[in-house]
Amino acid sequence: MLRALLRSRSGVVGISIVMLHLVIALIAPLIVPYDPSAQSVRLALNAPSSQHPFGTDHLGRDVFTRTLLGGQTALAITLISASLAIVWGGMVGVALGFIGGRIDELFMRLVDALLAIPWLLFLLLIVSVLGRENWVLIVVLTFFYGLPAIRIVRAATLDFVARDFITAARARGEGTLTIVRRELLPNVLDVLLVEGAMQWSWMLLGFSSLSFLGFGVTPPTPDWGLMISDNTRTFSLYPWATFYPLFALSSLIIGINLAADALAKALGIDRTQGAPL
Amino acid sequence: MKTRTLPLLICLCLLLIVGVAHAQDERGTLRINHAMEFGGLESLDPISQYRFFDVNARLYNRLVRADAQGLPAPELATEWSPNDDATEWTFLLREGVLFHDGETLTAADVAYSFNRIIDPAVDTPVRAVLGIMNRVEAVDDTTVRFVLNAPHADFPLLLTDYRALVIAEGSADRIEQTGNGTGPFRLETLDLEGTTRLVAFDEYWEGVPQHGVVEIFPIPDATATLQAFLAGQIDIYSATVAEVPLFNQDQVYVQYLFSGGWEGMVMRTDTPPFDDVRVRRALRVVADRQAMLDLALGPNGGTIACDSPVWPGDPYFSQMNCPQDIELARQLLAEAGYADGITVDLYLSDLSQTWTTLAEVYQQQAAQAGITVNLNMTSSDGYWSDVWMIEPFTFTSWGQRPADQILNEGWRSGADWNETYWNRSDFDSLLDRARSALDFAQRKELYADAQEMLWMEGGALIPYFTNTVRAVNNAVTLPEIDYDMVPWWEVTVNR
Repeated sequence: MLRALLRSRSGVVGISIVMLHLVIALIAPLIVPYDPSAQSVRLALNAPSSQHPFGTDHLGRDVFTRTLLGGQTALAITLISASLAIVWGGMVGVALGFIGGRIDELFMRLVDALLAIPWLLFLLLIVSVLGRENWVLIVVLTFFYGLPAIRIVRAATLDFVARDFITAARARGEGTLTIVRRELLPNVLDVLLVEGAMQWSWMLLGFSSLSFLGFGVTPPTPDWGLMISDNTRTFSLYPWATFYPLFALSSLIIGINLAADALAKALGIDRTQGAPL
Repeated sequence: MKTRTLPLLICLCLLLIVGVAHAQDERGTLRINHAMEFGGLESLDPISQYRFFDVNARLYNRLVRADAQGLPAPELATEWSPNDDATEWTFLLREGVLFHDGETLTAADVAYSFNRIIDPAVDTPVRAVLGIMNRVEAVDDTTVRFVLNAPHADFPLLLTDYRALVIAEGSADRIEQTGNGTGPFRLETLDLEGTTRLVAFDEYWEGVPQHGVVEIFPIPDATATLQAFLAGQIDIYSATVAEVPLFNQDQVYVQYLFSGGWEGMVMRTDTPPFDDVRVRRALRVVADRQAMLDLALGPNGGTIACDSPVWPGDPYFSQMNCPQDIELARQLLAEAGYADGITVDLYLSDLSQTWTTLAEVYQQQAAQAGITVNLNMTSSDGYWSDVWMIEPFTFTSWGQRPADQILNEGWRSGADWNETYWNRSDFDSLLDRARSALDFAQRKELYADAQEMLWMEGGALIPYFTNTVRAVNNAVTLPEIDYDMVPWWEVTVNR
């Protein structure tokens, strides 16, 4: 599988970008030249120079330092949430596909209803009620992004339940849980992986939107969404303060998408045939 | 067939009529925005705590307005005089002033409007300003007498308040729908979430309004407001110095006005830990006000303030020094039992463009004295109704007001907008004595004592007064006067 993935050029590019981002996020605290929160009146909105390769923002903080550090929170929270989302989405999806019947109908309509809620508004509501603790964000992101996974995994499961090896397992008298775990999950794992990668990139966008609106990361912690929002009003005058965090966020999301597409191809999954989101 | 075409024809005729009614006045349309800061509770009642400022300023008149020097000048009243000890003031009214419904303004309307402010059955923040009135009497059709509870040598200055507006006698229960005043524009449509339309009132006493229509619509977000202005969708924009280079000089001109408006952070002095004067003082002396001014507003964006709301242009302004003092802050905190530092939650919203910047600057400065400031971003619509004066540490901003007014409105015990919950009888007494002092030098001294007290013990961190930077579409001629005092009928719109 990995070999198939690495044969595709876009897959290599995508994976390299993602790895680069992960490495930077891990080692950034060791390599950044300045304190990300250090302000200076004298340095406010200086253009890129040899001391400040990405320039400085409206408070005179080093944009290079803040861009390198700006992905940490977003990456950590979305990685955890994406993993949890495919776990719970995958379990429920397989179970529903296997059980079928009335329960399946009922739950899928519930999922449809939840999917119809504009998630960003819902997220804002939850955050303003419960406060923006990291665990709140993780729980909400996990829950909402698990929903599309349920649909897709259930659809994939339906392909398998009618096949002979499931019938054989039933005939052997295996229990529901065992069939789900030993027969079905391994078969839909590829779908789940691709889905997880796609969800991860959507989640990054969602989380950055929250920060952009002021409800994600709390200042002075550097964060791409927050940095973009801070300087967006004067973008045409001091583009560097907005451009670099924007570039970092976009490149990461593009990287994840390239990798996910290549992964899907390598696994022979046609995402366009999946259940509609 | 006939039965089908008839309703259709009627509909077409109706559409035509509506179309004509909405035809553009050739004098032009002024388009402005409001921030929806009261979340849809905005009221046409001028003394409501949710007064719809931008609309009310055009619908109604005051008795007295402030001129460019901040001194009282005639509006609906033409002249005034006090009795010997300044406990009674008599105002002569302008003759021939008409309300939008055609009625003539009389002293009874004025007396009614001002007696409402002191009516205990009416809940209004204006009482904090004009609560000194005991009763208001119509002497004859054009003479009004204000009888005060205590002497007030500067009483006409209080009447320049932007909410001390005159409505018709007995109209309080309808005013929120009709907006019937004597102002240069009358209400056509009131739609808080859509477009509110005002049209020129051609019988206006000061002259025929120079633009025909005012359209006011909500944009509850600072960035969106700037974008709307840059795109030419609104005509007037309150800018920051840093934004000025964004404006295209072919489409927009910029005015700089020295002003007494201010913004800052307020602590509730009735709520721990801010009920301890040492904590309050520590949180205030950590501020490097010059850095705050430079980073939040830019060079020449304002003037330094020392936690007193009386601005340098006011005759009662008292010069003080308020340098950053980290050592003092640490020492005060240690005495108050926070030797290991203290953590506070500061509430703000995207309502003002500079709040977030100021908050981040303050966060860094406070950290030097071991103060951890957590920033809590809240939703901007409804900020004033749900967060401000409710949470213990919030952002605030005020327009320019004369010394007596701002001190009484913002700091007198029990005042509606006493945002620091400042409850000090010795402070109230200073204000009372200042009012009754007929000698200017003595008044000035008493007001200076009051300002000193706020700097030493108060709960408001007021880092600076903001110069007004106003960007205006070239099609609009706006005189260089404080927004609150603009004679709107004179403004022309050539589009």
